[in-house]
Amino acid sequence: MNKALILDIKGNSLDDGPGIRTVVFFKGCPLNCVWCHNPESKRATPELSWDGRECIGCYSCKNVCALNAIIPGSTHFINRAVCNLCFACVDVCPSGAMSKVGKLMAVEDIIQTIIKDKPFFDTSGGGVTLSGGEPTVYMQFASELLKALKKIKIHTLIETGGYFNGDEFEANIVPYCDMVYYDIKLIEDFKHKKYCGVSNAKILQNFKKLVELSQKNAIQVMPRIPLVPGITATKHNIEGIAHFLRECGVNRVQLLRYNPLWPEKCFKIGSNGNIDKALTQWMSQKDYEFYAKILVKNTIQL
Amino acid sequence: MLLYTTNIRSSKGTRIIIFLFLKFIAFNFNNRKSLNRYLTSKDGWLNFSIGLKTEDNSLQYGISFFEGKVAVTKTIAHDAKAVMIFKNDEAARKLLLGTPTDVIYMLLKSDVRIEGSISYANIFSFFISLLFHDVQKRAMKTERKKDDKTVKRQQPEHNKQLSDEIVKRRKERLKAEGADPHVVYLDDAYLSKYSMDDFPRLQRFLHDHLTKKPAVCAERAYLLTKWYRENGFEKDSSGNNWDPIVRNALAYKYMMENRKPLINDESLLAGTTTSKPIGCPIYPDGSGIMIWNELMTISYRTYNPFDIDEQTREVLHFDVFPFWLHRNFREWVRDKYNNPLSQQLDERYALYFNWKQATISHTIPNFPKVLAMGTLGMIQEMHEELNSGCGEEKQNCLTAMILCLEGVNAYAQNLSKQAMGDSNREQNPQRKQELLTIADICSRIPMHGAQTLHEAVMAVWIIWIALHMESMNAGLSLGRLDQWLQPYFVNDMKNIPPEKRDEYMKFALELIGDFYMRCTDHFPLTPDLANFYFGGSSSDQAITLGGVTPEGTDAVCDMTYIFLKVTEMLSVRDPNVNARYMPGVNSDTYLKRLCEVNLITAATPSMHNDAAIIKALTPMGYPINDIRDWSATGCVEPTLSHKHFGHTNMQMMNMVAALEMTLNNGYHPLTRLDVGPKTGRPEDGVFTTFDTFFDAFTQQFAFLIDQSIDYNNKLAEAHQLIRPTPLLSAFIEGCLEKGKDVTMGGAKYNSSGTAIIGLADVTDSMMAIKKLVYDEKRYAFADIKKAVDSNFAHDAVLLSLVHKKIPLFGSGSDEAVAMANRITTWAHDHYSKMPHYRGGAYATGFWSMSNHVAFGTLTGALPSGRLAGKPFTPGLTPQPFASKNLLDNIRDVARLNPENCNNNIAFNVKVVPSAIESRQKTVNDMFSYVKTYFELGGMQMQMNVVTSAVLRDAMAHPENYRNLIVRISGYNAYFVTLNRQMQLELIERAEYGI
Repeated sequence: MNKALILDIKGNSLDDGPGIRTVVFFKGCPLNCVWCHNPESKRATPELSWDGRECIGCYSCKNVCALNAIIPGSTHFINRAVCNLCFACVDVCPSGAMSKVGKLMAVEDIIQTIIKDKPFFDTSGGGVTLSGGEPTVYMQFASELLKALKKIKIHTLIETGGYFNGDEFEANIVPYCDMVYYDIKLIEDFKHKKYCGVSNAKILQNFKKLVELSQKNAIQVMPRIPLVPGITATKHNIEGIAHFLRECGVNRVQLLRYNPLWPEKCFKIGSNGNIDKALTQWMSQKDYEFYAKILVKNTIQL
Repeated sequence: MLLYTTNIRSSKGTRIIIFLFLKFIAFNFNNRKSLNRYLTSKDGWLNFSIGLKTEDNSLQYGISFFEGKVAVTKTIAHDAKAVMIFKNDEAARKLLLGTPTDVIYMLLKSDVRIEGSISYANIFSFFISLLFHDVQKRAMKTERKKDDKTVKRQQPEHNKQLSDEIVKRRKERLKAEGADPHVVYLDDAYLSKYSMDDFPRLQRFLHDHLTKKPAVCAERAYLLTKWYRENGFEKDSSGNNWDPIVRNALAYKYMMENRKPLINDESLLAGTTTSKPIGCPIYPDGSGIMIWNELMTISYRTYNPFDIDEQTREVLHFDVFPFWLHRNFREWVRDKYNNPLSQQLDERYALYFNWKQATISHTIPNFPKVLAMGTLGMIQEMHEELNSGCGEEKQNCLTAMILCLEGVNAYAQNLSKQAMGDSNREQNPQRKQELLTIADICSRIPMHGAQTLHEAVMAVWIIWIALHMESMNAGLSLGRLDQWLQPYFVNDMKNIPPEKRDEYMKFALELIGDFYMRCTDHFPLTPDLANFYFGGSSSDQAITLGGVTPEGTDAVCDMTYIFLKVTEMLSVRDPNVNARYMPGVNSDTYLKRLCEVNLITAATPSMHNDAAIIKALTPMGYPINDIRDWSATGCVEPTLSHKHFGHTNMQMMNMVAALEMTLNNGYHPLTRLDVGPKTGRPEDGVFTTFDTFFDAFTQQFAFLIDQSIDYNNKLAEAHQLIRPTPLLSAFIEGCLEKGKDVTMGGAKYNSSGTAIIGLADVTDSMMAIKKLVYDEKRYAFADIKKAVDSNFAHDAVLLSLVHKKIPLFGSGSDEAVAMANRITTWAHDHYSKMPHYRGGAYATGFWSMSNHVAFGTLTGALPSGRLAGKPFTPGLTPQPFASKNLLDNIRDVARLNPENCNNNIAFNVKVVPSAIESRQKTVNDMFSYVKTYFELGGMQMQMNVVTSAVLRDAMAHPENYRNLIVRISGYNAYFVTLNRQMQLELIERAEYGI
């Protein structure tokens, strides 16, 4: 594969690893978490997004749509059952309310975009982060991208949900990657199937393998727990993860605060979704500290 | 409402109202002694007439003041001193019935314009004010109340969490990691163990500063005027022509000998800028008489009110202002050159503003010299020069310098006597001792060289007062005080035993803090209009820290960090602290500290890249050692310390006006001035290529530039005759040898600098035109013109396209950066080709003070999608919506060619510290941005570390944010003292989280 479907390349990120970083978001993910805050990254195909706030109501899109798939005033503005993703509307939209989600890019394209940020990486100890979606969906491509980045001496980090072929990851990613941010969401397998769509057995197994590799200094590993009200944010789950980490010999973790602003992203790409009320609220500082305490009690450093 | 509300809308109705109004004035002034007395002055009756009319002459009246009698006429006298011309009937009614803020906006927006002398129009306004000031005051109060209500409706409850966050910032302080080679005595360079809690004296100074209202002080103006009345201004008492420089020196000496020697009752430094605790000195030869119309109301105005006592009012109206009515720079030019076009354009507010109508200032005095040899040493040098034989001009110049220094010495001696007397009366033993020390120091300083830090700072302060007594407090700057005071600090430290060092450190911090607060004892006497142009600005006394020595080595030293610590603790808007950073020479420790101080104070110091400045100044032919010794002047501009008369803020130039004139065939829409070259109507398709349009733009811009320089030169001539500055010349290298005043070109290096406003707006507009009309051929020029003329009311698609789909400056587009460079190159080349009246060159800068807001108000919609009346971007900062990514902004600004920006730039970055990140991480992130920006070649960066939420809360509940400073474009201001438009502009700046 010489091109991958890229969602976005976002520079100046301070939250996706050390220093100032540029994040490459891949489109496509084997999981289907109900709380995913990048819902437009789930499918590995291009999609059409309509942002009502940017729309100026000029109907240039409607006028150009050969299939009459654009219905102003309707819930999602676009009748996606009819739409064939020709993206003619995107070309004529003056405000960018209509946009194409997902662009095929080659490694060289990505490098060319990223390289302008290198002076900031050098000063801040930053680099490039692969994220998404799930970058390992494009295992070969990710490997080549990471290789190219290492060639020009850029620090590399991959954010992953852990659902990949462990041997392939070890062969293709580990040699060119300085750091892994590894999501551990739910410790109970049946819950993981229910809320994320797949079993967590492979995920936990891959994590153990990576920890072993980190002990041999092949790569740095940082586990991350996304706090999701009522789902991952339970005493039982956090304690369970804490025990798991201790068993692996890991004594640090990042506890991620919940971001409830994703439902409107669903709307833009036409997902209906009955969203639980609990998932539309910010988590209180008190609650965050409650779960943080559990980890600290289990001698896990935040 | 001024008179009464009326529903009469007809032209006839307006004529009746105006007529009755004028008759009412005449009646009252003719029949009431208490008013009639104002028609006279020490120089006799105020005799003049004013005209009022509409543009179409449907309304025409005159009012004349002659020998104490007021008459209303149905025609305008041919020799009327000023004619107020209303755009239409409605404007005439509005002027009489509107609030003072309405009147200002009417002037700015050309709803009313003045043909002739604005000074006489001001006298007329003053007379109106004498009659109606109660009504005016009520109107101001009502206006304030209404505005306050509106703002509080948007934010009813004060959010204490927000104001607490700002205060809490200073509680956490980092310790320095790493060391600088020339920091000798500080274990922790960041001095983190100290806070304001350790300095109760400074706390009290700060409290006074934030709560006391400034007052107009007539002392200086009164004494000078007295001397001139007794000894003559144009001619001396024998009837011979005065040499201006000797005349001014004699008057100056008299004034310095006779002004009150005051000592703030808690300060370690003697001397005050005025006779008031916080005073506005008056420079009637410059812009002083511009407040004539506000004598009754200046205490009640909404922005920057000043107290004024009855005695001051009387002195100004009867004595001072009449004397200087024709002896100020503006009126002198008007009289000699018959109200030239270049002056008229300046007085329409929207095109350019030439600072010489107020002052020159904007330089760095030779503190090192006076610290080393004292004023007596300097006088000695001058005598030696005189004895070596010289022509008349040199003789007069040196004599004048000596006289001025003698005046300074007399003042210092008076301070010493005063301190002695105060100490005899003082009960508190600690204060008694302090006063004795002051008395002792002032008996020797500044006459002799300094030995200790206290003596050095005292010398600097007294000289500073002395310089302000000669010429306006606007942009005169303090220079590299860290460098120049370091030897005295080191000397003191050497003589102090180690166990006493901590005590001395506290003393040093307190002394420098005291000095900062002395610098706040005065405020420029701004006319109300200036509150819209230069909102919130004080004197802009720039201090410059760090960088490299003339030899190129690391200049960061103990005093650098002491100044930074004082800056952090006090968080005052002025002195305007600027920090120089040389990549590869100055340390990361130092740069991180600059970032931390920016975080704690939310807005200072401004940071400069020495490498880029050196690159910018080298083509001007200055020797590298002198370039390396540069200091920030006024706002951000570089001058070569104490050798360079650079008038770095010669003018504020509205480059967007040139664009508007290009779109309108030489006609400026708002001012209705049809004076530009006839480059053609774009809607007729005359510009067949983009380059022909760009060329037309340069023709319009050249017209404005040439006119502005013409006025600049005429004003410069006025300065040479009315106010040469021999004292300042004594402190600028070159004047002694050449025997010439700075105004005549005596300085070793000469230049003048402009501040060009609207670079991002013009670049973006050019990009929109190039892309849509020429590259993609999506629109005809006529379509763009139509959209712009109608403020995009019917062109939502076009407006959206230019906002979202055009590559803007700051978005990372190579093309847009190239366009910006094309513009700066053209501007720089045009200015630098022009002959300079002092034999130097013109330098171009891209920063705006607050004029981007004022000029924006006066400009219509632009092809960039900016709507009518909205501010331009500050300095050359990209549009807030150019890119979501701060790095794009940083990179694009860094790619501007520094040689075109030899009068510096202002690049504003608004960052928001994360609530959860550690202090260390936040400082490291800020450091990464700044360091990379400098490494990429960026010249200057200034920050606002505050959220829009905080600013909105501060706008509605100012009492909780009295001390919050913001960076405008080149200077700091207290957010709560800014006008609403300026506040909103700051709120709307793009913010980036860290």
